[in-house]
Amino acid sequence: MSFGSPYLTLPDFQYIRPATLQEALQFLDEHGEDAKVMAGGVGLIAFMKERLVSPSYVIDIKGIPELKSMQNGSNGMTIGASVPMSDLLDWRPLQERYKALHDCVSLLSDPVLRNRSTLLGDLCEALPFVDSPAPLLIFDAEVEAASVKGKRNIPVKDFIKGLAETALEPNEIAIAIHLKPPPENSKSSFLKHTSNSEFSIVNVAALVANAFRPEEREVRFAYGAIAPTPTRVYEVEAPFKRKAPSSQLIDEAVATIKKKAEPMTDILAKAEYRLHMLEVLALEALTQLLGA
Amino acid sequence: MKSRMPTIDLRINGANKKLETKANVLLLDLIRDKANVKSVKAGCWRGECGLCTVFLDGRPVKSCLVLGVEANGREVTTAEGLAQEGQLSRLQKLFVEKAAMQCGFCTPSFVLAAQYLLTQNPNPTEREIREFLSGHICRCGTYKQMIEAILEYAKEMREEQEIPAPPPPKKVKKKNERQR
Repeated sequence: MSFGSPYLTLPDFQYIRPATLQEALQFLDEHGEDAKVMAGGVGLIAFMKERLVSPSYVIDIKGIPELKSMQNGSNGMTIGASVPMSDLLDWRPLQERYKALHDCVSLLSDPVLRNRSTLLGDLCEALPFVDSPAPLLIFDAEVEAASVKGKRNIPVKDFIKGLAETALEPNEIAIAIHLKPPPENSKSSFLKHTSNSEFSIVNVAALVANAFRPEEREVRFAYGAIAPTPTRVYEVEAPFKRKAPSSQLIDEAVATIKKKAEPMTDILAKAEYRLHMLEVLALEALTQLLGA
Repeated sequence: MKSRMPTIDLRINGANKKLETKANVLLLDLIRDKANVKSVKAGCWRGECGLCTVFLDGRPVKSCLVLGVEANGREVTTAEGLAQEGQLSRLQKLFVEKAAMQCGFCTPSFVLAAQYLLTQNPNPTEREIREFLSGHICRCGTYKQMIEAILEYAKEMREEQEIPAPPPPKKVKKKNERQR
C-alpha cells in the first residue's frame, strides 16, 4: 500500500543482516554515513517514515549473537545492544541491583513495544526526552563502542553531545552498555513527569547508600529531559558525606540541583515549568531514599 | 550477508509462505497485502495504537515498526491463528460472550495481546491487565468488557487447574504525605 505520504511508507534502502560483529563493522566502515544501525528499529523505522533519516543501507544487528548477552557479576552488569527491554524487565538482577534503571525501563512505552525496543537504542536516539540517561548516569554506566579499529568505552556522561548527537563515530556501533556495581547497601529510584503526549519533560534518578553511616554515606543524583543533554549533579554529593541527612540538607541539595539546571522551552513545556517539576521530583526522590 | 532479499520464507498461522518483498516494506503491509491476512489492522503507523499487533515467534510486536524482511525464517501468528480449525479459541469466544467490542476493529489486536498476557501470567489482576494493554487503543471504549472477558478466562483456567485466586487488590495508599 502506498499513499505517497510519509508516515506510511519507508524510503528505499537495502537491508543487511550480518551474522558476525566483524562483518557488521566492516560494512559500516565502508558505508559510514549512508548506513544506519538497527536493533529494535522502533526509533529508526519511525524516523525513516518521517524522512528524518533516509539511509541507503540498514544494518540489522539482531543476528549477531554476542550483542544479545546479559551479564551480571561482581564487576557490574553488561547489557548487549540487541537485548529487548522486556527481557531486561524479566531479569531479576536488574531489579535487585539497579532499581532506578529497572523502574525507568518499566515506564518506557508499553509492554508490547518493549518486546522490540532496546536500552541502547533509547540512549542512542539522544533526544532530550529519552529517559534512560539519568539512571545510567547514577550507575556510572559506559557505552562500549566498536569499530574495525577496535573497541572503546565512552562514559554516558560524555556520550550525549547534543540534540540527537552522540559521541559515536560514523563507523562505530554501540555494542553494549556496562554498569558499575552499585555501592553496597544502596537504594535507587527513578521518577519522571510527562507531558500529555507521554514524552518526559523532566526525569530524575537518585541513589543513596548507607544513609545512616557517615563514613560510607553516598548520594548521587542525575536528571534528564530538562535540556538537550542529561546531567549528573556531582555538586550534591559532598555535603551528604559531611552531615547527617536532614530535611534542611535535602532542601540545600534541591537548591543546588535547581541552580545547576538550564531548562529549555520547547513544544512540550516551558522552562519555568520544567524547573518547578525538577524541584518537585528531586525533593520526592531524595526524601524517599533518605527517609528524612 | 545478503544485500537484497527479493523473496522471504515465513510461516503465517501455520502455513509456509514464500513472499516477494522489498526491504522497505513493513511487516504490517507484507501480512495484509502479500499474505492477505486482514485481521491485522493499520491505525496510527507509529506504534501507539497497537492495532497492527502480531506474534513474531510467539511474542507480540507492533508490525508497523517491524520490517517485513525481519520475519524471514520466522513464524507470524495473527488472530486467525488463534482460531484452530476455524473454531474460535475460548478467549475469543469470551470476547463475544462478554460483548467486549463495538465496531470490532481493534478486537484482533486485543485478543492477541490478552492471549500473550495469559500465557505469561495465567492469573493476572485487573491492574496487571490494564498495564499490559496500555499500548492498545479501543476507540469504542469497551475496555471494561475486555477486562471482564480476560478475568473470566483466567477464572475458568483456575477452576480447571484448581489454582487459588489472586489476592484482592490492595487498598491504594495515599502518596506519603511528606513529613518535613
